Amino acid sequence: MKVDIMHIAKLSRLKIEEEQIPKFEKDVENILSMVQNLPELDDNGALIDPDNPMTLREDKAEQNFKRDELLKNAPATKAGCVVVPKVVE
Amino acid sequence: MELYNFTATELSDMLKEKKVSAAEITKAFTDRIDAVDDKINAFVTVTKDLALAKAEEVDKKLAAGEALSDLAGIPIAIKDNICTKDILTTCSSKMLSEFVPPYNATVIEKLNSLDYVPLGKVNMDEFAMGSSCETSYFKKTSNPHNTEYVPGGSSGGSAACVSAGEAPLSLGSDTGGSIRLPSAYCGVVGLKPTYSSVSRYGLIAFASSLDQIGPIGRSVSDVAMLYSAICGKDNKDATTANREYADFKADLSADIKGKVIGLPKEYFSDGISDEVKKNVMSASKVLEENGAVLKEISLPSTDFALNAYYIISSAEASSNLARFDGVKYGFRAKDYNSLTEMYENTRSEGFGDEVKRRILLGTFVLSSGYYDAYYKKAKLLQQRILKEFSGEFTSCDVILTPTAPDTAFKIGENFGDPLKMYAADICTTTVNIAGLPAISLPCGKGANGMPIGMQLIGNKFSEQNLLNTAYCYEKAVGEFNTVASIK
Amino acid sequence: MSASDYEIVVGLEVHAELNTKSKIYCSCNNKFGLEVNTQCCPVCMGMPGTLPTLNEKVVEYAIKMGHALNCSINRICKQDRKNYFYPDLPKAYQISQFDIPLCENGYVDILVDGVEKRIGVTRIHIEEDAGKLLHSNNFDGSLVDFNRCGVPLIEIVSEPDFRSSADAKAYLETIKSILQYIDISDCKMQEGSIRCDVNVSVMKKGSSEFGTRVEMKNINSFSGAVRAIEYEANRQMKVLDEGGEITQETRRWDDAKGENVLLRSKEDAHDYRYFPEPDLLTIVLEEDYVNALKDTIPELPNKKLLRYTSEYGLKQNDAGLIVESVDKSTFFEKAVSLNKCSPKAVCNWILGDITKYLNETHKELSDIMLTPEKLAELISMIESGKISNAAAKQAFEVLVTEDKEPLEVVEQKGLLQISDDSELEQIVNKVMSENSKSIEDYKNGKTNALGYLTGQCMKATKGQGNPSKMKEMILKFIENS
Repeated sequence: MKVDIMHIAKLSRLKIEEEQIPKFEKDVENILSMVQNLPELDDNGALIDPDNPMTLREDKAEQNFKRDELLKNAPATKAGCVVVPKVVE
Repeated sequence: MELYNFTATELSDMLKEKKVSAAEITKAFTDRIDAVDDKINAFVTVTKDLALAKAEEVDKKLAAGEALSDLAGIPIAIKDNICTKDILTTCSSKMLSEFVPPYNATVIEKLNSLDYVPLGKVNMDEFAMGSSCETSYFKKTSNPHNTEYVPGGSSGGSAACVSAGEAPLSLGSDTGGSIRLPSAYCGVVGLKPTYSSVSRYGLIAFASSLDQIGPIGRSVSDVAMLYSAICGKDNKDATTANREYADFKADLSADIKGKVIGLPKEYFSDGISDEVKKNVMSASKVLEENGAVLKEISLPSTDFALNAYYIISSAEASSNLARFDGVKYGFRAKDYNSLTEMYENTRSEGFGDEVKRRILLGTFVLSSGYYDAYYKKAKLLQQRILKEFSGEFTSCDVILTPTAPDTAFKIGENFGDPLKMYAADICTTTVNIAGLPAISLPCGKGANGMPIGMQLIGNKFSEQNLLNTAYCYEKAVGEFNTVASIK
Repeated sequence: MSASDYEIVVGLEVHAELNTKSKIYCSCNNKFGLEVNTQCCPVCMGMPGTLPTLNEKVVEYAIKMGHALNCSINRICKQDRKNYFYPDLPKAYQISQFDIPLCENGYVDILVDGVEKRIGVTRIHIEEDAGKLLHSNNFDGSLVDFNRCGVPLIEIVSEPDFRSSADAKAYLETIKSILQYIDISDCKMQEGSIRCDVNVSVMKKGSSEFGTRVEMKNINSFSGAVRAIEYEANRQMKVLDEGGEITQETRRWDDAKGENVLLRSKEDAHDYRYFPEPDLLTIVLEEDYVNALKDTIPELPNKKLLRYTSEYGLKQNDAGLIVESVDKSTFFEKAVSLNKCSPKAVCNWILGDITKYLNETHKELSDIMLTPEKLAELISMIESGKISNAAAKQAFEVLVTEDKEPLEVVEQKGLLQISDDSELEQIVNKVMSENSKSIEDYKNGKTNALGYLTGQCMKATKGQGNPSKMKEMILKFIENS
């Protein structure tokens, strides 16, 4: 299995240095060659488990957190907001 | 005998009988940390002042005649991927090296309500990805039985600190063996509970469908006590089961007469070292002598479980760790000229290589064109593995296997070789894939003097059964709760 | 080729924010317009270790919309993660639904230029909204406000059944009014609580094969949707006419400039890496629960529109204006149900004086003292000739602000018309005998003398004479004189 590590890195927002590409490529390909050995299975099962249904939450509002507390770990803030590099889109 | 040598159960009794104060207990452990942690390197953060203040509160309550829980005044170390309000929670990563959560994990809320003493946060593989505790951004934790050896991972700090007598109890987390493997390597008892029995709220996610918080201690009774304290339905975690739980410690019984113990042949194959096989087989004989019935069984899909595990866990991790982008919290790279550059530099500088490997693998198996061949197939395989176990549990009460194929390896020996490192997980990952409970307990030592662990696997929610079997073995071989003599 | 040689094919994806009390996956307030980052918690800010819990009302509201759009409801369904990086998406994935939506295979009937048209609804699914990026010219960066993170959304995806921008507009208006009727969304365009993405392609008339479709984002109003569709269709026709090809891509609509620009090509399309959300279990709904929700769906505006035009003879435009507001149509139907007056008159009053009053005073229909019963009474007095239109307007001024009966107001203000023939005849005869000159004038062809005579009669009745009756009597008098 050949992996386009640069494409996957781009999707993952990881920057892989030029000299590291072969290493990561080999690592991921080795792991893939280990894990691709899966038996043939019926492919019609949906990934749901109706025997284990979810309990839903009651629609009740409560506000327990102050803004300062929530933003105290942010690398950069201004005017009660988190600051990021200018977004163009 | 120094106080740090006692188990949590013993300390709890001594406290209630007023033979010792909570402050004295806490002091004994913080002194022990001061004395040995520069060799063990288990702690990322020691909350000494907070621990003493909490201990004094407990002493006041005791003096006032308040009825207290078994865990009141008992110091507990917490794996550093469990969020603690106003206390640094790093996941042993540069990414979160300064992260102070404004909330507690549900397990911490539960322990707080029982007046536990927060001793500090302990080291782990970065984001719980690893089997040796070597991928931590901060330091490499050592095995107290021989400091040249790894403690196992990812909950290496949790197992090492208990083994070294730095804490009587700790919380770890287990995604593919992260409680059981270090417990085996460090010669302590570790329980990976049934998936859905302990709330994951506040546990920094590695693989959501596999992660589970569990206790590590030096006796079965200690582990039962801590498990009882943390299990239960949590409205903040939609995946927790809606059921009532017994008092596991109160219900402990060493009577296992007539219990059928399955020995799956796939777990005693060529990949397992001879001394490990020998020790686990002798342990099975001990159980047999105490009334259990041994039965050879087969779990043919075992060979695929590790594959399914790496696909599912990496896929979920690639999504769970995407939130570490330098925007809202955690590390942000210094240099960037655009949003994309900020993302890429932050994530490339903030994560270590093992984390990057898993993110790349996980992104790949979910990416367009590969989802069906990898992720979906692994999930379907998961259903088959679960069915296989369910089938065996119609005739077995407990399944006995080695915890790891070998004893601990030396620090640096396998570092950077993912396939060798992943092989340490072959006995444990199946259990997570099937969502079952399993306990690791010591069963002798290898030629290198390092502990060997055996694993008891049970059907869903059969923790009492597992604990009873472990308890029977513990009584039969004499206590295995001695603190490691640090070498 | 000219535009008439092409056919436009449009599909719409409508996002509507639901008006639940709390957010979809946490208990934060679901409120618009509050101070930045004050309606957040660790869950909706995607802090490490936090987990989502699904709000039951979100499921309920989405099922209601499913019923309203004739969908089948998937009683067993799941949620999935849609992975992409953006600063307004704190977890770097949006919890949405991928292969098993809550509702699918529905339809809605719309009215376009008096013709009924059925539009297929592919699916309706639940998902969370993202936060907001704020920009400022005097600051080199963007600010993130997470208040909107986790606001519940439903996405309604249509089949590519629209053949004109008018079709699309009628559909959007219908969807909006249905959301308001079943009271699951505030539908405030200016607050962004309803938004849409548009897929446009063109094909040769008579062709059965669709052209390559282009997706357009950033459409913030229904009129914007119309402009965006027309612009894009024209752009595509021009490309084809010049021998070019349409490529599958996403374009961004700029409403101020009235044009769109390329956002990303097919090669750069996001790979969202959908997979089942492991933090949530399967949604399993009881059949009884789903069916009971069906019974809560009232008669919907698109059905009402058809009924108002056919049953009450209202013009489509007028009917549309009544129907688009739940309050107005309830008021209208109540007044009409009393069978006291003509539905058209009720419609005219609601769209005329009442709407004017509400607009001027910034009030809601429920704020005024005039009830449907009183309006029907007032109109019936006009129709039976008891009061004049002008008198009714005077009475209306009182009835909107004071809790009084119409008859009481009319009597107190002396607005009742004299419709008693003998009484009127006496007055008319008296006035006529005093104005023989004007009668002569009229006979000599000065027709405006009639207006003068009528005015004199009205003056004599202190404005309470029934004008049409008096006019009749005047003409009769002249004829006989």
